[in-house]
Amino acid sequence: MADNKKETVKETVETTGHQWDDDEGYPLKEYNNPLPRWWLYTFYATIVWSVIYWILYPAWPLVNDYTRGVLGWSQYSQLEEELAEAREMQKVWDDKLATLSLEQISNDNTLLQYAISGGKAVFGDNCAPCHGSGGVGSHAKGFPALVDDDWLFGGTLADIEESVQNGRTGTMPAHEEKYDGALNAQQVDVLTDYVLSLSGLGHDAQKAVAGKELFEGEAACVVCHGDSGKGSLKDVAFGDPIDRSVGAPDLTDAIWLYGGDRTTIRTSIAKGRTGKMPAWGEGFSGFGRKLDPLSIKEVTLYVHSLGGGR
Amino acid sequence: MKHATIEKNAALMSILVLIMVAIGGLVEIVPLFFIESTIETVQGIRPYTPLELKGRDLYIREGCYNCHSQMIRPFRDEVERYGHYSLAAESKYDHPFQWGSKRTGPDLARVGGKYSSLWHQEHMRRPRNVVPESVMPDYPWLEENALDYDDIADRMTAMSRIGVPYSEEMIKNAIADLKAQATPDSDTDGLNTRYGNKVPLDDFDGQPKRITELDAMVAYLQMLGTLVDFSSYQAQAR
Ligand code: HEC
Ligand code: HEC
Ligand code: HEC
Repeated sequence: MADNKKETVKETVETTGHQWDDDEGYPLKEYNNPLPRWWLYTFYATIVWSVIYWILYPAWPLVNDYTRGVLGWSQYSQLEEELAEAREMQKVWDDKLATLSLEQISNDNTLLQYAISGGKAVFGDNCAPCHGSGGVGSHAKGFPALVDDDWLFGGTLADIEESVQNGRTGTMPAHEEKYDGALNAQQVDVLTDYVLSLSGLGHDAQKAVAGKELFEGEAACVVCHGDSGKGSLKDVAFGDPIDRSVGAPDLTDAIWLYGGDRTTIRTSIAKGRTGKMPAWGEGFSGFGRKLDPLSIKEVTLYVHSLGGGR
Repeated sequence: MKHATIEKNAALMSILVLIMVAIGGLVEIVPLFFIESTIETVQGIRPYTPLELKGRDLYIREGCYNCHSQMIRPFRDEVERYGHYSLAAESKYDHPFQWGSKRTGPDLARVGGKYSSLWHQEHMRRPRNVVPESVMPDYPWLEENALDYDDIADRMTAMSRIGVPYSEEMIKNAIADLKAQATPDSDTDGLNTRYGNKVPLDDFDGQPKRITELDAMVAYLQMLGTLVDFSSYQAQAR
């Protein structure tokens, strides 16, 4: 059978003329089979297609430019179109958001839900790395949770918007001599005991009394943390309200920015702390990401909705 | 030349194959060097400061590019997440460039200024401190190792040989500039005259008295994608 087949093929098909392995009398020949028709026509079709493509789309390099194609397509114009299309789709909503104030938006439930879902996306991309997914805070020290009711700079819509627009800096000065402060090690120790006592943590009562004296007197902690240590938002200093932008935390609750153990509190007092919330809007300094006004509104409403907002 | 000759001569065939493939490559690549719109003309691009250049070398040493690209593509989803798409001009002083599409972590082309240096310190020490879901490895040695910058002038000279416009003055002042950038409240006038005002200044590693590898790494991360002012950038016809 094998022989039969060999015979028939031999008669109908030309060879390329190459021939190897002649020794045994069964030369190995290379047949010149024609290409299958469907394949050949597909091949011609791709050539035609590529010519059409060259005409329609950017294709050939020239000396210092390139052929741009009659459609005028570029990946940049496509991007612009897609962005414009998305804007168009959201326009009805976005126009409302842009013109209404934060309060007005939060009174319109449908609009509020729309803004919050937009704000959630903005938060995930930009804020979650510091404030945790959903604003629950992070394991690292100094990045406040936003879901609780404990605010440094305030939880009203206006406060939150200000935090986002212009950023915040909370500066707790260094107090120990070693770090260019004015207090000696022993004074820092007694202050630590007083701070521990404020939230009912284990402390030396005698030292805490001495600490209280310093807190209100020489060390002037009250100027920022308030007469009873309840922080710049809720407390008063010598009877007068404290500037809201100081951002000194409440030391009497059990919520800590840096930690509530003796060593950490001592370090906070001795070396000082600086918390930096970047500016995303008007106060943007040229470094980092600037958010558009709409995103700032949305993320403000989202943060306000997290549970700690007022 | 006869077909049979080529087919029977492996060396000759290899050379001819190489030539054919090279033609394909050259036709694609060479025109890019001459087409004027390949590299946009934009304001603000400057060479890396000595500290940032060191940071970039560490970025490459640690293999950060295995998980991070530095190239925001002109697609809607990328632009909405990361910011303006990357311009070729923004990586014109990168040797080698850090483009790519391998993203286990997010693109870093515009990470500069997005976070505070404190955040970067926590994140490099142990990413899960700040992002509990992170799979990025810890790099705790960066804050321990003192930065070795003895060779910085040589490195800048090498860069200038391949086209980065480091002036003689920049190279001469390399070590002073490097220290000034990482030391808060130092005199940065010289640094700013040489590299402009968009130079991040900070105690990047949280250790004011030391200059560590973390200083260099964070300084580099903090400037990424910040040089072009996109509010005044007009996309050119390309
Ligand atoms: C680089 C880390 C970082 C990023 C990113 C960040 N924040 Fe903050 N944020 C902070 C820090 C730190 C504070 C506390 C500032 C302080 O200690 O004085 C803060 C404070 C705030 C406050 C004030 C909280 C209070 O108790 O009064 C709000 C509101 C806030 N951030 C919202 C946001 C929003 C919204 C975003 C995203 C657009 C964001 N943050 C992104 C670090 C960050
Ligand atoms: C100039 C205002 C100012 C003064 C004065 C000041 N603090 Fe503070 N303090 C702050 C601010 C702001 C913070 C929060 C720092 C941050 O946001 O990173 C803070 C944080 C703290 C913390 C850390 C709280 C936490 O949640 O981890 C402690 C403890 C503390 N202060 C105690 C003191 C003591 C004790 C004194 C007096 C010796 C004092 N502070 C004086 C503004 C001040
Ligand atoms: C195994 C892959 C991997 C490697 C290697 C890696 N990263 Fe990451 N990186 C990630 C992932 C995943 C994230 C997102 C989660 C997070 O923020 O930690 C990330 C996030 C980041 C971010 C924050 C980006 C943003 O916009 O939130 C920075 C900055 C960063 N990495 C820098 C580095 C540097 C510098 C190195 C090298 C020293 C490095 N990474 C190496 C996986 C990696």
